[in-house]
Amino acid sequence: MSRQANRGTESKKMSSELFTLTYGALVTQLCKDYENDEDVNKQLDKMGYNIGVRLIEDFLARSNVGRCHDFRETADVIAKVAFKMYLGITPSITNWSPAGDEFSLILENNPLVDFVELPDNHSSLIYSNLLCGVLRGALEMVQMAVEAKFVQDTLKGDGVTEIRMRFIRRIEDNLPAGEE
Amino acid sequence: MAVCVAVIAKENYPLYIRSTPTENELKFHYMVHTSLDVVDEKVSAMGKALVDQRELYLGLLYPTEDYKVYGYVTNSKVKFVMVVDSSNTALRDNEIRSMFRKLHNSYTDVMCNPFYNPGDRIQSSGNLGISLSCRAFDTMVTSMMIQVC
Repeated sequence: MSRQANRGTESKKMSSELFTLTYGALVTQLCKDYENDEDVNKQLDKMGYNIGVRLIEDFLARSNVGRCHDFRETADVIAKVAFKMYLGITPSITNWSPAGDEFSLILENNPLVDFVELPDNHSSLIYSNLLCGVLRGALEMVQMAVEAKFVQDTLKGDGVTEIRMRFIRRIEDNLPAGEE
Repeated sequence: MAVCVAVIAKENYPLYIRSTPTENELKFHYMVHTSLDVVDEKVSAMGKALVDQRELYLGLLYPTEDYKVYGYVTNSKVKFVMVVDSSNTALRDNEIRSMFRKLHNSYTDVMCNPFYNPGDRIQSSGNLGISLSCRAFDTMVTSMMIQVC
């Protein structure tokens, strides 16, 4: 399901269960370490961001995609190339805003949540929030400031998982924005 | 078709027990408890052969007047016990075996849930104020009990 970089063009398979369990262990550990779910969400986003700013290099090196000319093209690349490469799924892109600066990624099945059932005392936990961080971090490195957030989640009883992406602005100068 | 389904930990304490007619709950608890001795006996008797063949299904543990008790032990010594109505003659060994398989698979999924701590009681939210969410497991057991009742 998920693939790991082999420093070449070919990709190595990795057990999806191992991946899912690893992520589960990470999230539950964070839940133990932080008092409330909001802090866990924030932490997951931060970790995702740090993954994203690194992952984009790997992605660009391996995928050979060129510069995107508009946000629609970016959306296509994210869904059809990036998600396919790293998670083995292809989310669909829907709900474009009229201005073309907002869209939704619909994940039919999310490999991160394979065995997970949210306990009642973690109702505000955004379990897969890492993904938002990754998207934000990766796009920031290619001069795009975006906002990503979960609006639907199968863990919360919704039919599908939906990540809403909003384009904020182009980052003109190449200075890395000091996040941390 | 099953009237009682129980999951028992390695140390012989119940992880999950559920029976259909709630007023007889104690009777089933007692039945399952008694069956544990038979399970132990069976496991130690054919221990070696069992391990070699990786056969987890123990077969009929003992029949009573109205019920039949079946057992299944995983390699990690977690026991599944199922009580079935004797009048239900349509239930063949093969069906029981596949029901245990299903139960085992669902149990594996519960174990893989990162919010479940191994050794805790598997309980759908509610009882005792503990809310370990194992809704999928509960639903599966319910479906096993409702089927051809």
